Amino acid sequence: MRSITAYCQISEDACYVNGDVVAQKNEESPDSWFKQLYKDLAIEYPKFYKMDMLSQAGFLGSEFIKQTYPGLISSYAEDEVALLFANSESSADTDIRFKESYQDKGSPSPSLFVYTLPNIVLGELAIRNKFYGENMFAVLPKFAPDFFLQYGQIMFETGSKAVLAGWLGILEGKVEVSVFLIEQNKPDGLQFNKQNVIKCASPDDQA
Amino acid sequence: MTYIGAEEIISPLGQNIQENFEAVRENRSGISLVPKVGFNKEDIHLAKIITLIKKNKFEFLLIDILEKVLKRIDASIIPSEKTLVIISSTKGDLDRDISNPFAPAVAALMKYFNLKSQPLIVSNACISGVLAINAANNFIKAGLYEHAIVIGCDVISDFVLYGFQSLFAVSALPCLPFDKSRSGITLGEGCSAVVVSKTREIYTSSPLELLSGTSANDANHISGPSRTGEGLYRTIKRTLEQNNVSADEIDFISAHGTATVFNDEMEAIAFDRLNMSDIPLNSLKGYFGHTLGAAGITETAISIQMMHHKLLVKSLGYSEAGTSKTLNIATENRTSELNTILKTASGFGGCNASLVFRKL
Repeated sequence: MRSITAYCQISEDACYVNGDVVAQKNEESPDSWFKQLYKDLAIEYPKFYKMDMLSQAGFLGSEFIKQTYPGLISSYAEDEVALLFANSESSADTDIRFKESYQDKGSPSPSLFVYTLPNIVLGELAIRNKFYGENMFAVLPKFAPDFFLQYGQIMFETGSKAVLAGWLGILEGKVEVSVFLIEQNKPDGLQFNKQNVIKCASPDDQA
Repeated sequence: MTYIGAEEIISPLGQNIQENFEAVRENRSGISLVPKVGFNKEDIHLAKIITLIKKNKFEFLLIDILEKVLKRIDASIIPSEKTLVIISSTKGDLDRDISNPFAPAVAALMKYFNLKSQPLIVSNACISGVLAINAANNFIKAGLYEHAIVIGCDVISDFVLYGFQSLFAVSALPCLPFDKSRSGITLGEGCSAVVVSKTREIYTSSPLELLSGTSANDANHISGPSRTGEGLYRTIKRTLEQNNVSADEIDFISAHGTATVFNDEMEAIAFDRLNMSDIPLNSLKGYFGHTLGAAGITETAISIQMMHHKLLVKSLGYSEAGTSKTLNIATENRTSELNTILKTASGFGGCNASLVFRKL
């Protein structure tokens, strides 16, 4: 029996953990929305500021889950947590900025270029949490619960003990982010089925 | 059992698998000096398909390769709900629509071949191809599909070339994988495919057995390889263990070998830690350049051909050992009975993947 044991959703102006609002965007703040969320976490991880928005989105989602549910790190060995992420935009948000760097701003920016692949966020999560497990980043035409159900099932069947999954819709100001943890043999949580993947992750169904 | 076969390649070296393998067998390279394409209008060595039309290259190649694959299998599996198309690509058709680099080409592919299931796009940097083949195997073993057509494709763009130039990662000479004088990658473009299936009968020529593969992250750095080869070490170890294959059963390694100083060193360390340094190995980047999302599939396709032809093909561009741990790099073509092959890949984001296939 597999279940979604924790989930975090971030929209353009609110952040929810397990369906409850934990932060709302302060329009008066000089900080960006993601920087506000980072500060709310009260953690020290200066690398956050180097990340692009796609990586920041995955990072924030996983850190909010860890704050309510530290078991994500402590319960598993290094190779046991698989990362399963997807979106529709690939790394387009940063791709546009990288293109501007060489078209309009004089020279191609290496610090932007290294973020022009959607799977970089998996690397950031692996570095932060010492996850040496399986990786998968897929680009789908739209949110597809079956992708998470099917590949999540596959990851468990091929040896992973937990799957940290997410939908990271980031493009030119759009924020449709959800990160959710799937575990097996846990008494709590929502059964890992289509209805609950939609509830926890669909951008059209944010809490 | 899962089978793999019907391998096809479109590259600067040829329009189909026969032409490509013939070129590789003759140790010809697809790399040429292309004038004034660099960011500062420098001439750059690229493995570029000169004849490729300019508009919507990505879509054109996807359709073209699937047409070729159709002739190698029972074509009736294509418009079937039991068949999944998996596309491995890093940048898709970025020059067509930077905000939506995959969807238009994939929609065209679906329509053209009347595909019943939405294709899956795997975009995991340079391991995308190996990961896509592994995903195909996983989908079939889980009973979700019966067949998967795995297509790898990336085309050369200013975007990617300027990016690698900004990292000082582009070689002034055609790339020299694992060589002492290596100094970076040569970008390539191409499209390749393999068919993975639970049914041997769909293939018009004999397939091979595909064993389950794995991936692992270095958990170290997003753009620099691990100094201990951590992720590569772990994925190879897991792949061998999961299949009960020991290192001494591997007859040949099709390595990633991008020809950057740090990548090739990292691979040498990982193979050494696994006691696999004596196993014959090559990198095919000297033939095809680094084709990013297509690389893992192109290199698997050539390795399948090597197995059928009993020919171990030399690692083009290599002459003198240039890694801290010595590898057994193929310096000449030689006849060799290859029964079991390990394919590996590593990429940005600290990702690594491996797979094994063997003769039936």
